[in-house]
This record gives sequence, C-alpha cells and structure tokens, in this order.
Amino acid sequence: MINRYRLLIRGESIVASSGIALAAILLAVMAASAAWAMHTQRDAAQAGREAQIRTAAVLLVQSVEPLLSANELSATRRLIADVGRFYGLTQCRVVLADGQVLAAAEPLQINVQNLPARWDRRRTADDSSAPGPGILAVSYPINISGHGSAALEITANLTQPLWRYWEAQAGVCATGAAALLALLIVYRRIRAKLRAIGAIREALQAIESGTSVSAELCVSPALGAEASPWNQLLAEVERLRKQSVGERARETLGRRGQPKGDLSAACDAMSQGLILVDDKSNITYANGAAAAFLQAKRDDMAGKALTEFLKVENLLQAIREISNGSSRRRAVVDVERTDEGNAGVLRFSVRPVRREDSASGMIVIEDITQQRVAEEARHAFVAQATHELRTPLTNIRLYVETAIDEGENDPAMRANCLNVINGETRRLERIVGEMLSVAEIEAGSFKMRQDDVRLETIFEELKNDYGPQAAEKQIKLIFNLPPKLPNVKGDRDKMLLAMHNLIGNALKYTPQAGQVTVNVEVSGKQLSVEVRDTGIGISAEDAEKIFERFYRAKDPRVAKITGTGLGLTLAREVARLHGGDITVESQVNEGSRFTLVLPVVAEAA
Amino acid sequence: MKITEQRQGAVTVLKPEGPLVEADVPAFKQRLIQAVGANLGRFVVDMSAVPFVDSPALEALVDVTEELAKSGQALRLCAANKTVREVLELTDLSSMFDHFEDTNAAVRSFL
Repeated sequence: MINRYRLLIRGESIVASSGIALAAILLAVMAASAAWAMHTQRDAAQAGREAQIRTAAVLLVQSVEPLLSANELSATRRLIADVGRFYGLTQCRVVLADGQVLAAAEPLQINVQNLPARWDRRRTADDSSAPGPGILAVSYPINISGHGSAALEITANLTQPLWRYWEAQAGVCATGAAALLALLIVYRRIRAKLRAIGAIREALQAIESGTSVSAELCVSPALGAEASPWNQLLAEVERLRKQSVGERARETLGRRGQPKGDLSAACDAMSQGLILVDDKSNITYANGAAAAFLQAKRDDMAGKALTEFLKVENLLQAIREISNGSSRRRAVVDVERTDEGNAGVLRFSVRPVRREDSASGMIVIEDITQQRVAEEARHAFVAQATHELRTPLTNIRLYVETAIDEGENDPAMRANCLNVINGETRRLERIVGEMLSVAEIEAGSFKMRQDDVRLETIFEELKNDYGPQAAEKQIKLIFNLPPKLPNVKGDRDKMLLAMHNLIGNALKYTPQAGQVTVNVEVSGKQLSVEVRDTGIGISAEDAEKIFERFYRAKDPRVAKITGTGLGLTLAREVARLHGGDITVESQVNEGSRFTLVLPVVAEAA
Repeated sequence: MKITEQRQGAVTVLKPEGPLVEADVPAFKQRLIQAVGANLGRFVVDMSAVPFVDSPALEALVDVTEELAKSGQALRLCAANKTVREVLELTDLSSMFDHFEDTNAAVRSFL
C-alpha cells in the first residue's frame, strides 16, 4: 500500500544475485587452485633441495678428505664455512671420531684448534635423535689418512614457508583479478540495461498475481529505454478503460432519457418529488424522486391509490379536498419521518390542477431536513449568543455602577472593579471573535496567517489567564511542559483561541476541587497538547456531535453553564487548517481528555 | 481502506481515506449505496483523503450516480484533489457529479 502511488524502482534483483554468486564461486576456485599449486611446488622444491645438499655433501667429503690428509686445516674450514653459507645449512661440520669438532660453518662450534695426531673412536652416534619433518640430517664418514676417521655432519632445513611460492601464483591472481574486474564492468553494464526489463518483469508478475493493470505498475523512465513504451502501454490500457467507463456512463444516462418524452425526462431530473393525482386521489404520475421519498417502486405507483403509500391523515385529507375540487387553496404539510436510519422532514405542497372536465391535484415533495436542522441551530445560536453576550455585559454594567457609586472613596475597590471589567471585556471580545470566525468559516473566507509561533509565550499567557480562574474554583491547574518547546508555523491568534477553548472548557465543566492537567509533548514532527480534566464527561452519543457548530451536549448540567456551542467547532477547524486535528475521549462523570495535535514545521530555535 | 462517517446537521459526510482502487471498490460502493437509501440520500463524499482513483472506482461512482439519478439527485463530491479532478475531466464524468470546494459547501448545498 505504501508504495502504491510512486514509480517503483524495480529490476535490481534480476542480475544481482546470480552475478554475486558467480563472482564468489570464481574467487573460491581461484584461491583453491593457487593453494594447491603452491603446495605441490613446495614438495618439488623440497625434494630438489635435498638432492642438491646430498650431492654437495658427497663433493665436500671428496674435497675435505685430501685437504685434511695434507693437514690443510684452514682451507678445510673455509670450504666448510663457504658451503654452509652457500646452501643455507643449519649445521655443517667435521666431527672427529671422539666427538671433537674440527671444522664448522659456525666458527664458535670448533673446539679443537689443530688436527690432533690420534684420537679415540669413543663417540659413536651419541646424538642420533631423529630429525623432525622437513629437516635433513646426514652424516658422511671421512677417512683422514695418517690420523683416523671423522664424519661430515650436515643438517638443513628443507621447508620454506608457503608464501615464498606466491610469485608463481601472482600471475594467476592478476589474471583472475582482471577477469573479475571485467566481469564487474560487464555486470554493471548489463544490470543498467536490464533494470527496466526486470522492473517490467516484476510488473507482469504482479499482474499475473492479480494486481489490476493501472498506473501504479509504471516503471521509472530512469531505469532504461524500455520503461517509456511500457508506461505508454499502461497509459493506453488505462485510457481505454476510462473511455469505456465514460461511454458506459453516457450510455446508461442516455438510455434513461430516450424512450420518454421531454417533459417526463425533465420531471425525472427534478430532485423534488412530483405526484399527480386524479379526483379519486389515485396516482396518475409519479417521478423518480417521489418514489424515493415514499420508499416505493416507481413502476408500481401509477394507477394505485395514494393511500397505499401515504398514511398521514391530515395530509391525505388536504389532498382529497384539493383533488376533488372542493378546495382551491394550496396546502403545505410538513411530515416528520422517524424511521430508523431514514429520518427526515418532508414538505408536501399540494396544489389543484384545473382542467375543464375533471379536477386533479399535484403534490410536490421536498426534503427540508437540513433546512430544519439549520433553522433550529440558528435559533439555538441566537438564544445562546444573546445569553453569552448578556452575561459579560451585565457584569460590566454592575461593576461600572459600583465603581461610580463607591469607587471614589475606595481606590482598592475601584481597581478591583476595573479588573473585572477588563476581564469581562476580553471575554466579550473573544465571543465576538468566535462568532466572526464562525461566520468566516460559513462563508468560506476563514484565512490563516503564517507566523512563527512561540509556544512558550502562548502557554505563559494561558497560565496567566486561567490561573486565577482555576484558583477561584479551587481547581488544580497543572501545566506539564517539556523543557524546550519548538516554534510552530501558523496563525498565533487562532492557535491561542483553540487552546483557550480547550482549557476554558475543561475549567468550565469541571466541578469545584477538581483537576485540569495540560500535558504538552513533542515527538518527532508533532506537537500534542493533551487537556485532561476530572469534569462531568461527555456521553458517547454527544462525543460525535460536540464538534458540530451550535451543538451543546444534552447533559442537563451543560445547559446550566453558558456557552455558544462554537468553541470546539472553531478549535477543530483551526487545528485542521494547521494540518492537525482534535480528538476526544471521555467517560461520563469521570472526565474528558481532548488531544490537540499540530505538526511542527519550524525547528526549535 | 477506511471510510469515516460524520454527521453535519442532517447530512452524512463519508470520508474514504486512501487511494480508491480495485480492491477497495466493493466495500466503498456498498457503503455509498447504503447511504443513498438512508436519510433520503442526504450524504456527501469527502474526497480530500483520496490521492487517486482507478477505473473500477470510477465505475462504482457512476453506479452510485445512476442510483441517485433515479430520484433526480446527483452525487455530491467535495475537496477532490487535482489528480482525481483531472481523471474525472478526462473521462468526461465530471459533469455527472456535483463538486464542492469543501464539506461545508457541500453540506450547505442541501439547504
């Protein structure tokens, strides 16, 4: 529902999921193959290095033997050191049979400086601990002629970390990355091209699943070239449908008019009911509206006696007198109908129709319910308004008289009188203002200014206005305001008027020692003013009507309190003009809660 | 779709809220037909909360108008937005309805 009247952005999903899956699979395959290649490469490299070291060892033995036999110790040591360094061996040394180290790649290991003349064969493989995996440890016997036997011991680490083999894989990785990039570019291109098609596909699926072909299935033209022909297609379908509706309407309207004469068609176009009766009060003609008013089928009416459809005796009497010619005077009878769901006031105007041969009558039926309601409301309003205006006027006159008579000698009393007069004048002003506003609403010229309204000052003013009034009635008036109130855009005076009405009503209809709480809350872009009282409450029946103008609740306690029945009408009108509303919840004898909601436009300054 | 109902004097104000589209049309039409039969057909339709109408909704409005035309009345619409008014103009249907600026004007038309 939310998206219903926007151009939908569709088509994202058609290639996205498959593209991402493809890329992920590709990446995984590439990573696996690189790892496998690096693994096998490492095994081969290890085997090669081992063979190389063994060959070097054999050659070394062959070189060292004659050198040592010739007592060329330093040359031997150099050779050993060179070999050790060159092949990156962990250990490379010549060990005499008694365990003394004669030469080593690591000079610190050497513990015999000169070649001894003889040595024991004490040492026989004393540390023959098995080498770990990836460690090569070999020992080759050397026979030093004229001295004795020795051994060339070599230990080397064959393993290299796996990452050492990345170079060979770099090419593969680069190729893979380039391929992925190319894929991404192609994907983006395809996606851009397919978006409109995807959107159209989704729209088609929506149609298949029961959505009607309408403007809501439009595809945003931004999605691609296919969108606008699709939208044209939709518009064309919509246009054809509307055309057919229009044609149907004209056809049905036309059909109704065709077979009848002009006069009959004209009578049917009347919103007033029209019935013609002959001198026996039998119906000779009835139009559609008359049938509707009498709740009968029009085709059944012609030729039947009027008494079948009308049961109001004084009306029937009047019709009889006029239609049979005994009375020439026009008669008007208002009939109030009280049927459930179809209540109203019908005005029957009966006139004689003169003909030479026979008498007959014409009855015009009008629905005057709304006029009646308006009339009653006006009467009530005039009565209320006079009363409302008279109360402050009386007060003013009384206090003016008091001030004149006794104020001269008593300045305190004079000040008090003037205060009351001031208050009453303001009340009078507000009443007249309300009446004017209602007149403006009636005339459709109720206009609003757009000010920046500072809510702080409004509530300050309300506190000052109603504080004393509440204290006088011993009502606890509590304002719960948030620490910071935002500014709102709107008509300050009208907003103040609306809140005046809510709080004023709460005080008015709350008996002594009650409580009126004004809770103000700002949440998001909404200001809510909740006025809660412990007053007489409003019945569910009245709650629907209190916002109607001139309406005052039927509670007898309300009748005792003066009021125009305009305040809430105005307050709600003001709230609605500001884009807000007023709602009410109430329980008779428990109290009422009015909530005024206004949108906050301007941010807090 | 929600249809709120309010009384202004002797007139019922029906206010549908939300777009008037196919799915909501049967309920809407039924409510209107019911209003035609009640209170001697004194009702207005407040269109201020209807962003757009589709063809089935137009058909429903035409049907209700036909029903009202039997007693010489026209369907009173008020506060329709530009989109809705355009649709009515385009389909040549606007002349079938009485259109008012706001509910007050529409209610006053019963005087």
